[in-house]
Amino acid sequence: MGAELKKLSSFWNKAFLEERPSIGLSFFRIFVAFTVGAHIIPTLLHLDDNYLHTAFREKNTSFFTPLVLALVEKSPDGFVLFMTALFYAALFLFAVGLFSQLSCILMAVGCYYFYALNSLHIGTLSYDILLVTLFLMCITNYHGDFFGLDSLRRPDPFAYRKKRPFFVQRLLQLQIASTYFYTALCKFTVDGNWFTGNPIYHLLNSVPQSVVKHFPLRNFFAASPELCKLIGIVMIFCELSLPFLLFIKRTRVFAIIAGFLFHVMLVVTLHVPTIFFFLFPPQLLLFIDPEDIVAWIEKRRAANEKNGRDKIIYDGHCVFCRGSLARLLTLDFTGKLEPVDYQPFENPSELHPKLTREICHSRMQLVTKDGKLYGGFYAFQNLTLKLPLLMPLAPLVFFPGVNLIGEKAYDLIAKNRYLFHSKAACKDNRCFR
Amino acid sequence: MLSTKTRNSFISVFVVLWLLLFHYESLRFNYLNRFFGMEFPKFKFLFPPAGWIMFYRVDAVEGTGEVYGIRGEKTEFIDPHRIFDNHWLGYDNIRRNVMVTVLHPFYAENFCAYLRRKFPDYEHFSVMQVVYPSNVLHPGKRLMKVLYGC
Repeated sequence: MGAELKKLSSFWNKAFLEERPSIGLSFFRIFVAFTVGAHIIPTLLHLDDNYLHTAFREKNTSFFTPLVLALVEKSPDGFVLFMTALFYAALFLFAVGLFSQLSCILMAVGCYYFYALNSLHIGTLSYDILLVTLFLMCITNYHGDFFGLDSLRRPDPFAYRKKRPFFVQRLLQLQIASTYFYTALCKFTVDGNWFTGNPIYHLLNSVPQSVVKHFPLRNFFAASPELCKLIGIVMIFCELSLPFLLFIKRTRVFAIIAGFLFHVMLVVTLHVPTIFFFLFPPQLLLFIDPEDIVAWIEKRRAANEKNGRDKIIYDGHCVFCRGSLARLLTLDFTGKLEPVDYQPFENPSELHPKLTREICHSRMQLVTKDGKLYGGFYAFQNLTLKLPLLMPLAPLVFFPGVNLIGEKAYDLIAKNRYLFHSKAACKDNRCFR
Repeated sequence: MLSTKTRNSFISVFVVLWLLLFHYESLRFNYLNRFFGMEFPKFKFLFPPAGWIMFYRVDAVEGTGEVYGIRGEKTEFIDPHRIFDNHWLGYDNIRRNVMVTVLHPFYAENFCAYLRRKFPDYEHFSVMQVVYPSNVLHPGKRLMKVLYGC
């Protein structure tokens, strides 16, 4: 009995309590934000049709209580506008990972509010699934550990390794696996007619304006009832087995690829909500062991270290610069940069022939592996092409004319960087000079 | 700051409750209600009303709603994409049969007010139920019935 209990406890610990890197969950956060935005924003573009007093609204009475529906119904248009603004702000903050738990909660509040106000366009079965996912995302801040601004508030070059109890990721895994399983089960039990009828055949032969898209080979399949029946049975078999294959290490990769292809097929053939394509496939990626992701990153770091890295030359006497560098190194998770403090160097030309102490003091410098030198704003501009997490900023910093403003802004901050010190002794720029 | 033991206890309780609730809601409508012959309560604010039933039953019969605008003697079909003008990425909600909702008599008054605002050029509207008995056996056959007028 004692041994059995110990076994059970060890299983439970491994399944839910064990601390593992939260990098996968942080990555998933971006897709959740995108899915929520892609699902709700189109309805917010027509507030008068969908949410204001002029709208045609449907109530989901099985999901909400009458009291909540009545309360939401009374919302004046001004409050709807306020909730719209709140939703946009929360969605943006959640996407960029700033105050990620709070922004997740506020975003979820918005999702619930608009759902209660009008379920006609956003209320689908898959939206209910999205809300389950959102609920699990709201209960912790683990998804803000990486791939977001929260990780820059507490800079740590090894943030990608940060370990957290695994239960959130495990519950998200169980959620999608169970959804596949129960979906398949309903297709051939209770009122499901996938064994007794031929749903795929009927779908493919439905009227042109129905849920089925016009895809290549539709007519061929539509004329082959036996083939449709067989595909239906194979699909049920796949949906039933997928949850198990996802949890077995040896079959996991195959199951993830099969799941991906399944969702691609759904999107190509049917008018299914955004959630099927933007949420479910990334949720399948949560089955990848985060330790494997970290091991891959470590391997990349080792390879970059071995093959030589770009040198980022900074002022080690400047607390502000050290903080900025720490943020940069947090973003540089594959270790492409080697930080070098120029202060100990009497002659920084050892680092690059064109470098002097004055140049190093005036701006952060980037010396690339192939010997090119970039300073200040242009160093940052170059980094947006090198560091994957800075790449979203590349179109902005390379936009024509931005360099003129960027260079001036950079130099202004660099010149006065000692003013950013919190130390009372460093209230002017003369400190450390 | 919680100790690891306390934190793990909280997590364990949450996980157990969550898993019970998740599977209860997955089985409640289609299995528990039928097996026990009684209506089990639904947990509000989370989970779909009848479990995970995506495309679980598809028959030959199809149905939708159509709206016709009437101006003098002239009756015109109004494209549902003009009625609900939302554009999603990669799919079309009209083709997911969002129009079927307006057929419910409960929504008649609100929908009429919506149509009058959206299409002020029409004097009246007719909301029709359209049924396609089987596109395989009777291709193109439509049965239409006026459900209500505005």
